[in-house]
Amino acid sequence: MMRSLRQRRHRLGALLPGLIASIAIALPALAHSPDPSLSGSLFGQDQQLRFRWRSGAEPPSALKTAIRAAADDSNATRASRAATFVYDTAGTNNIGYGTGTCGVNGIGCFTRTAPTSFTMWLREHGRPFDWGTLRWCQMQAEPTNGCYDAETIALDEFGHVEILNHHVNYADESDYTDAVVQTFSRTRPKTGWNMHTYGVCDTATLQVKYDVPTLSSPYSRCLDLTTIVTLGVNDSSIAFGASVDFGSLLRVATNSSYERLSANPLGKRTVRLQRRAIGSTTWTNFYTLPSSTPTGTYRATLRLFETADFRTAFSAPTTEGLRGDTSAIIRVTVAPCTSNCPDPLTAQ
Amino acid sequence: MVVSRWFRRAGPGIAAVGAVVAIASTTFGARTPDWDPPDCVGPVGPGAQSIGAWYRIDPVLTEGAWSGQRLTLGRAGDGTPLQFHLDAESFASGPHRGTVLVGTDDGALSTLTLLDLEAGCRWRVGMSRDLIRHATLDRDRRAIVEHRVDRRDRSDLGIWLRPLDGGASARIIPPPDADPRFGRTWRTELAWSEDGQTLIVESCGEVACRFRLAEVSSGGRWMIADPSVGALVGLTGDRLIAHGACRGLPCPLLAIDVGSGRTAVLDTAAGRAVIGRDAHGRPAVIHEVGADGDTIRVVLSDGHEVAGFDLDPEAGRLVANPAWSGSAIEHPADQIVVGPDGRLPIDGSAPELLRNLVDGRPASLEEVVR
Repeated sequence: MMRSLRQRRHRLGALLPGLIASIAIALPALAHSPDPSLSGSLFGQDQQLRFRWRSGAEPPSALKTAIRAAADDSNATRASRAATFVYDTAGTNNIGYGTGTCGVNGIGCFTRTAPTSFTMWLREHGRPFDWGTLRWCQMQAEPTNGCYDAETIALDEFGHVEILNHHVNYADESDYTDAVVQTFSRTRPKTGWNMHTYGVCDTATLQVKYDVPTLSSPYSRCLDLTTIVTLGVNDSSIAFGASVDFGSLLRVATNSSYERLSANPLGKRTVRLQRRAIGSTTWTNFYTLPSSTPTGTYRATLRLFETADFRTAFSAPTTEGLRGDTSAIIRVTVAPCTSNCPDPLTAQ
Repeated sequence: MVVSRWFRRAGPGIAAVGAVVAIASTTFGARTPDWDPPDCVGPVGPGAQSIGAWYRIDPVLTEGAWSGQRLTLGRAGDGTPLQFHLDAESFASGPHRGTVLVGTDDGALSTLTLLDLEAGCRWRVGMSRDLIRHATLDRDRRAIVEHRVDRRDRSDLGIWLRPLDGGASARIIPPPDADPRFGRTWRTELAWSEDGQTLIVESCGEVACRFRLAEVSSGGRWMIADPSVGALVGLTGDRLIAHGACRGLPCPLLAIDVGSGRTAVLDTAAGRAVIGRDAHGRPAVIHEVGADGDTIRVVLSDGHEVAGFDLDPEAGRLVANPAWSGSAIEHPADQIVVGPDGRLPIDGSAPELLRNLVDGRPASLEEVVR
């Protein structure tokens, strides 16, 4: 039975790199990318998942408080239409304290059967492991260095339940706090040991999978989405001083890897109408188009007194993971003034 | 670093050992007096297959904190289970040919006891000033393989072999090198390949595990250290079956060719899994499809599906291997064990715990025993 194994004897210590390329675990992730995602289905957008304590394996009260706080953290900081978690004694999703389904996992674990249910377990305070004894900070009267923050760990687990896999950090882990869903949990007092909000790379994946709450909601800085801005006018050849309706549409580019964010209109951003005089190579900001609706449409009606080229520009915001874009150019030809002509500069 | 001759091929038809998830973590009320069996007479000996021998280990909590463990054990259908109360640092392994190996550490000394459920007696098989974190009996019951750490600083002392003929213990495998891809080691589990020929040392970080394999007859050694690999399911032929490095279920189920390192995905989103034998006696991987436990799939290690059937998870979930819990039962290899929430009933009752691997048809463990 072990013949082939014997024939391929290696020295102890030889590394056998696994080739798991075909595993459908994830969006492949590079450093500082959105968290990879787990395989499997999603919960519904904004689906409310009610949990209760597992009968016979209820967490101690200090941990119950931490877990409920973590549920609130998840709801408050998901920045998306991901599922929400609510404690309810009649809930159908059990959260337990003990061995549960954790297998060899160290500190806690979960199961997810989207869109119907989930479970979660946290290990016991005081349980010995090879390296030493697990201590939850919340179970200590005076938390000591080396303890784990149960609220952080539970938030990590809630993130897994949503769909998140472990964040891939930079080699120096300088971006550790960009995600609470981490392979290695940190203990007090190391940076990130007590994160009570999702990080930007957690919310990035939640947004990709569940969409943003509204069309004007900010996109996670961990994303890098191409945007498309278009410009249209109702008339490109007008009489002197006549009005032109400028309409611009701003949206996320159509891209299957953006999943729910693909082609999303972007409302409440800053879209500038830019003008270039004939013969010039310089674009100047001419007008900031108001976002008249939350549907990514930006409109203005302006009187024009001379022919010029126009485009709209969306500059990459520093607070969002959106790239900038400029529209195609439209030339609006204005007929010469024939009577009672105003000073063009004043008119503009 | 020679693996000595304490291994031998297990005989055909040997019962598989199914694990049981020890979920309950509550403190029971009145403390039941510990079982106090007499010492066994004579050497341990090879023993014999003992279908129905079982144990379960549960934490004992004091004000929510781990303060010890309670070992419950017995033989299916034999009435009231037996109990032991163990220290906080303690473990059980087996059952193997009717025996359960128990280790407990009082803070100064680790003590190993082998409980014979057939004869109702015990062998005091060893003590150590080092902290014995886990141990397993070899298939012939001639030696114990131990994982030890230094009780002063928890440093890993490697894997030790303790002959049961009175010979001196010796380290047979050194501790693993530090590897930041796995982080510090949370658990070291010891297991045997499906044919009993190869010792598996599973060293798990917070999520990912690495494996060192030692084949007894040849002295061959292998290592699999891939941080995308997680908990062990088993070793069958030259395929190591493991979950991916997941923090929960479902999780990919992987078959890793020990020689080449090539990995095949048996299922992208599997639940619990065990190794058994199909209807033709071939080694097979039996796993839940998804995390909810309502569908069982039986595949060979090359991924070829040979059977599948539905389960009512309310009536019983597939019980996973010992590393997932701390309890197990000897049972026929061509059947799986199911139980409420994937565990054996704490009282030892065993109504229809078994499922036939061909069609999922239930069978009572007592029927098998008889």
